[in-house]
Amino acid sequence: MKIIGKNVVEGIAIGTVQYIQDSFEELLQEYGVDDPQYEKLKYEKALSEAVMQLKVIVSKAKEANNNEQVQIMEAHLFMLQDPMLDDRINQLIELGESAPKAVMKASDEMANMLGSLEDAYLRERAADVKDVGKRLIRRIFGIEEPKIDREGIILCGEDIEPSLIANLSSDCVSGIIMGNGSSTSHAVIIAKAKGIVTIVGIGTAINDFENGTEVIIDGYEGSLILKPSIEEMKLYQERHEIEKQKKAYYLSLSELPAVTKDGFNVTLAANIGNPKDIDDALKFGCRGVGLYRTEFIFMGKKQLPTEDEQFLAYKYVVEKANGQLCVIRTMDIGGDKPLDYLSIGKEENPFLGWRAIRICLERTDIFITQIKAILRASVYGKVAIMLPMIINFEEIVQAKALIKRASNELTQSSIAHANNVQIGIMVETPAAAIMASVYAKEVDFFSIGTNDLVQYTLAVDRGNQKVSYLYDHFNIAVIHLIAQVSEAAHANGKWVGVCGEMASDPLAVPLFLEMGIDELSMSAPSIPKIKEAIRNCRRDGEILKHVLTLTEASKIREFLSGTILANNINDTIN
Amino acid sequence: MKEAIFTIGNALGIHARPAAEIAKIASQFESSITLYGNERKANAKSLLMIMSLGVTNGQEFVVSAEGKDEDEAIDALSLLISNNFYED
Repeated sequence: MKIIGKNVVEGIAIGTVQYIQDSFEELLQEYGVDDPQYEKLKYEKALSEAVMQLKVIVSKAKEANNNEQVQIMEAHLFMLQDPMLDDRINQLIELGESAPKAVMKASDEMANMLGSLEDAYLRERAADVKDVGKRLIRRIFGIEEPKIDREGIILCGEDIEPSLIANLSSDCVSGIIMGNGSSTSHAVIIAKAKGIVTIVGIGTAINDFENGTEVIIDGYEGSLILKPSIEEMKLYQERHEIEKQKKAYYLSLSELPAVTKDGFNVTLAANIGNPKDIDDALKFGCRGVGLYRTEFIFMGKKQLPTEDEQFLAYKYVVEKANGQLCVIRTMDIGGDKPLDYLSIGKEENPFLGWRAIRICLERTDIFITQIKAILRASVYGKVAIMLPMIINFEEIVQAKALIKRASNELTQSSIAHANNVQIGIMVETPAAAIMASVYAKEVDFFSIGTNDLVQYTLAVDRGNQKVSYLYDHFNIAVIHLIAQVSEAAHANGKWVGVCGEMASDPLAVPLFLEMGIDELSMSAPSIPKIKEAIRNCRRDGEILKHVLTLTEASKIREFLSGTILANNINDTIN
Repeated sequence: MKEAIFTIGNALGIHARPAAEIAKIASQFESSITLYGNERKANAKSLLMIMSLGVTNGQEFVVSAEGKDEDEAIDALSLLISNNFYED
C-alpha cells in the first residue's frame, strides 16, 4: 500500500515499523487517583528518573560533539526542573488531579503561554515544554522509552519528540515517518542533522501501523510503501545500494577541489536564507556563500529588524564561512512577499513593481541600516554586498553613494567596520544583461540570477500552467545573454557567478565552464553532484560554440546530454 | 532585601539565551530572586517565567533578591546584565 506525505530528509529507507505512543488519553481515563501526597511522590520519582535520562542523553551528545543536540537537550533539562512548572504541577495535584493529568495540564498551560508570545523562537519552545511533559508522563505510567535494539527500525508516530530522535543511533534507525505535517519542527531539524531519511504529514493513517510491519520510505518523492511486494522490495533494495555507494563517493569529494581536467577552477558556493543554513552547507563542502538571501530577517515580523539584530545574523554566517567570501544580497522584498510594516500596497504585477533596490533607494533609512549591519559584520571575515533588481546605471551609482554614507556614519561613531567590501549586482533583468559591459566598470562582480532572468527575458510566469512549458533556462536567448554577461565581466577584469537554479543543473555545467564562469552558487545538497560534473569535464570551447548555433531548447538539452555521456565513456576507455 | 534597576541594552531583549543565563546564575543562590518588568514579575530561577515577561530592548526592569546571599546574587546578575549577556 502506497501512502503520500511530504519529504523532509531525502533518501531510501527500508525496515520495519516501530510505533511510538504519543497519546495517553486511554491510560489517563483508566488511571485511579490516589491521595495527593502519593500522587506527589509519584511525580517526584518520575521527575528524578527523567532528569537522569536527560543527563545521559546530554553527555552522550557531548561525546558525539553534536552541539545542536546538546543545546536542545540542555534546554529540556532546564525546563524539566523549572520552578514555575514544578509549582503548577504540585498545585494541581493538591487540587485533586492525578500526577499524570497534572503534568499534562501544567505543561500544556506553559506551552500555550509561550505559544502566544511574539518571538518566533519562543513560540517554538512551546513544543519543547510539551515534550518534557510527555517524558514525565511516560515515567509516571512506567512506559519504557521505545527500545531501539535491532537494525532497520522505522520510527512511526503522530508526533515524535525531538528528545527521542536525539537519543537515537542512526545505525539502528533507518527512517522516520510522522503523521504531523510540520517540516520545521525540532524533531525534523535533529533528523536532518543526523541524516535520517524522514517524511512527514501522512495524517492519521499512521495510527494503524503495526509494529514489525515491513515498510519502505522513498524520501525523494515523500512516499512510503507499507507491506511492499517482492518486486517493490527488490527495486528499492537496488536503489538503496546505489544510493549508499553514491553517498560514500560524494563524501569523498567534499575535500577535493572543483577543478576541470584541464585545470580550470570554479568556486562552488552555497545559497542560504537562514543564518543556520551555513552549518549544513559546510558539510557539503561549500567554499563560502554566493547568495545570502536576507529577506527572512525582514519577514514574519511586526516591525523592521534593528541594525543589531541584522548584525548578529550576518556575523554568524560570516564567521562560520571561515575566511571564504560571503555575498550578502540586500533586501529583495516586493509585492509578492508583502510586509505588514512596509505599506507596499496591492500591485497588479508585483514582479514588475515596487521591490528590492527600488524600495531601498526610496526608503534609504532601511537600506542604510542594513548596509551598516553588513559593514559591521565584515570585520569578522570576507564580505561582498550584492544589489538586486538593477536595471539602470544610476541605481548602482546611488546605491554606492549610500553605502559610502553608511560607512562614514560608522566611522564618525567609531564603530568597527570594514571599508574594503566588494560591491556587485545581480544580473536578473534583461536590461542589466544587455548593458553588462557598461555596468561592469562600476561594480566588482556580477552574479547572474537565472530564475528571474529567464522569467523576465521570456516574459513567462512559471506559476501559470498554461505557459510554464515555455520557462526553460536552456532557451537560446537566455544562453546568449549569460555568455555576453560573462564576456563583459571578464573584459573588464571582474568576476562573474551564477546563483539561480540553473547553477545546480549538471547539464549546464559544460556551458558555464566554457564561458569561464568563476563561481556557481546553489543550495548546498547540490554541490557534490555539480562538483562531480566539473571534475569530469574538459574544456575546449566546442560545446558552447555549437550550442550558440542552435535555436531549440530541446535540441540543446539533447546535445548536452550526449556530450556528457560521450565524455564519460571516453574517460572510461582511456 | 536588595534591589537593582537595569535597562536592557542587547538587541533582542531577554530572549531565550539571556533568559537561560539569568535562570542559571539565579539558581546558584539560596536567596529568592524576582524580576519585575512589563508590569509583571517572574521568579528569576524559572526560565519559563523570565521568557514570559517578554522584556525587550530599551525597557527597564528591576531585580530583587532576598536571603542571606542576596548581595552576591545581585552582584552576579548585574555583571551579566551590564555586559549585555556577553552577546556583542
